[in-house]
Amino acid sequence: MTLPKGFGSGGAGGSSSADIERMIGRRVENMTGMITASFWAAILATAAGTAAGYFYYPWAYPTASGHFAFIVLTIIETIGYIFCVKVMEEGSNKNSNGIVAASVGGAAAFVLFVSLFVGW
Amino acid sequence: MAQMPALIPKEVEIQRLKKVWLIVIAMGSVAASVEVDNFVDGSLHQTSIRDSAFTPAHWWLYSHFITLPIGWGMAAVYDRKIPVLRGPNNSMNTGLKMTILGYLATMFTIGVNEMWHFWFVEEIFAVPNHWMFNMGVVVAFMGALAYVVRIYARLVELGAETPGENPYIAEMYKMALEGKLYSRSIP
Repeated sequence: MTLPKGFGSGGAGGSSSADIERMIGRRVENMTGMITASFWAAILATAAGTAAGYFYYPWAYPTASGHFAFIVLTIIETIGYIFCVKVMEEGSNKNSNGIVAASVGGAAAFVLFVSLFVGW
Repeated sequence: MAQMPALIPKEVEIQRLKKVWLIVIAMGSVAASVEVDNFVDGSLHQTSIRDSAFTPAHWWLYSHFITLPIGWGMAAVYDRKIPVLRGPNNSMNTGLKMTILGYLATMFTIGVNEMWHFWFVEEIFAVPNHWMFNMGVVVAFMGALAYVVRIYARLVELGAETPGENPYIAEMYKMALEGKLYSRSIP
């Protein structure tokens, strides 16, 4: 099998499992931490963005409207997050259901807190 | 079905396809967010005049129309590592090309839109400066669908995903694998 430049045994033919490991880099089933951090970054950015609406433009964006947008967007982000983790881990023996459940539960609690106590 | 030649080891290809898949899911979430803002922006413009270009509904819309072409561009950069996703004459995948062009059109339209609204404040949906937002998104969605189907079909072929049971869906995957999702002559 032809491998990219820099891989393989320099014309002697064949590729080793070490070559294949180098071509893969970080495996997708080991990216759950990165995906979870990105999910939380997205949630916090969404909270900040909607808050900018009802704190700086209250005549155009009532607080309830901002919270509604925050809730809908968090649901979209959560679906993407769950999809990412499940698809990346399928076919492997990794299982991060606990991390996903804690993260989604934490996000739900955060959204409830913001919706009930912030901006009113 | 034409079997694509294996130019990289199977395990490497599955991992790379899934990394592209991650970007695709993220871009799908951003696109869903744009659809929500379509309503938010529309409802704002029905109830209050356009006081400034920098209302939150526009931050939301415009930041996404910058994120989407850049994000899909990142997919294009990584896409080069996966031979099966190459387009005609080793160019960029046709679906990916359409997606990036469509979202670049929306990014360009941000400027066009602001120039138009400098003179005409009226924000009705059908003004010509809004047409290119909608046409760009439609072109991008068509391309993204073709690209996603092709990735999924390859994952099915590699045994990493379960094939569709519906024969019409299976036919669509088959066409995608042969590079004929749009027609039998345009890959």
